[in-house]
Amino acid sequence: MLEQFFINMEQWPISKGIGESLWIYPLDQALHLVGMAFLMGAVMIINLRLLGIGITNTSLAQVARGAKPWFIGGMIVMVMTGLPQLMQNASREYYSEYFWRKMYFLAASLIVTAISIRYMTRQSDSAHTTAGSKLAGAVSLLLWVNVIIPARLIGLFT
Amino acid sequence: MFSELLAPLRSLAEYVDMMPASIAFRESIYVSPYTTVAHVVAMCFFAGLILIMDLRLLGWAFTSTSFSHLQRRLFPLQMLGMALAGVTGLVLTFGDPLRFYGNIFFWTKMCMIALTGINAMAFEYITQDTVPSWDTAQVTPYAAKLAGAVSLFLWSTVIIAGRLIPYNWFA
Repeated sequence: MLEQFFINMEQWPISKGIGESLWIYPLDQALHLVGMAFLMGAVMIINLRLLGIGITNTSLAQVARGAKPWFIGGMIVMVMTGLPQLMQNASREYYSEYFWRKMYFLAASLIVTAISIRYMTRQSDSAHTTAGSKLAGAVSLLLWVNVIIPARLIGLFT
Repeated sequence: MFSELLAPLRSLAEYVDMMPASIAFRESIYVSPYTTVAHVVAMCFFAGLILIMDLRLLGWAFTSTSFSHLQRRLFPLQMLGMALAGVTGLVLTFGDPLRFYGNIFFWTKMCMIALTGINAMAFEYITQDTVPSWDTAQVTPYAAKLAGAVSLFLWSTVIIAGRLIPYNWFA
C-alpha cells in the first residue's frame, strides 16, 4: 500500500511540475541545506550544553528555551523543503535503503531531542549536567549525524 | 570572459587532474562519496555553531548568555568544524579539479568564503574591542548586529552556492 502511494505520489501534477522546472528542485535542495545548518546549530547548542562543554554559564532551562524556536523553525523548513524532493523522487526514495535509514534515525533523533528539551526546560537554574545528561547529549548527537549520513548517500548510491 | 579569467588555472587543473591520487580518488567507490558525506557533516557542525553566534550578535537568541562566553566556548569547536570542512573540501577539489575549475557556483562559493573571512577580520580588529561594553546586553549595538547579519547572509550563500555546483547552468 505504501509502495503504491509512493509510486502514485510521483505522478501528481505538482511532483511532475517540480521535476520539469529548472530552478525549483536545485533551489529547494539548497534551502534544505541552509535549514539544516540552522537546525543543527540548535541541536548542537542543546547537546553540547548537556555534555557540559557548551555555554556552561547558562542554565539548562535557558539554553533549551533559547534553542527551541530555532529547532522547531529549522524542522519546519526541513519538512517544507524535503517534501518536494520526496514527491519528485518518490519511487527512488521508496526503494532506497538510505532514505528509510534516514527516516528511522530522524524519528529517533526527534524523540530524543524533544525529551531533552522538555527535561532541560524543567530544571532549576542551579542544575548541573549529570552522567545521564551527558549520555543523552552524546546519543542525540550521534543520532543526528546518522540522519545526515544516509541523507547525503540517497543521491550517491541508488 | 569568465573562462578567460580562469585561463591561467587551466593547466594547473589539468595537471592535478592527471595525478594518480586524483584519478584514484575520482574512481573510488566509497572514498569519494564518503568524503562528500564528511564534508556535509563538518559543514553542519561548523555552520551550525557560526549561525548560533550570529543569532547572539543580532540579539535574536541566547541573550541571557554573555557574548564573550559564547564566543570562548564555541570558537574551538567552530575551528575544528572549519578544519574538517576545509580538508574534506580540498580533497574533493583535488579529486575532480576540472569539474570545479569552470564552475560558476564553485567560484561564487570561494568568493563568499573569502568575504566571510573579511567580515570575521573586521569584527576581530574593530568590533571585538567594544565587546566589554555590550557583552551582557540583550540589545546589541549596530556594529554587532551588522557583523551577525553579514555572516548569516554570507554563510547561507556559501551553502546555497555549494549545493548548486552540480547544476552548472552557466557553463
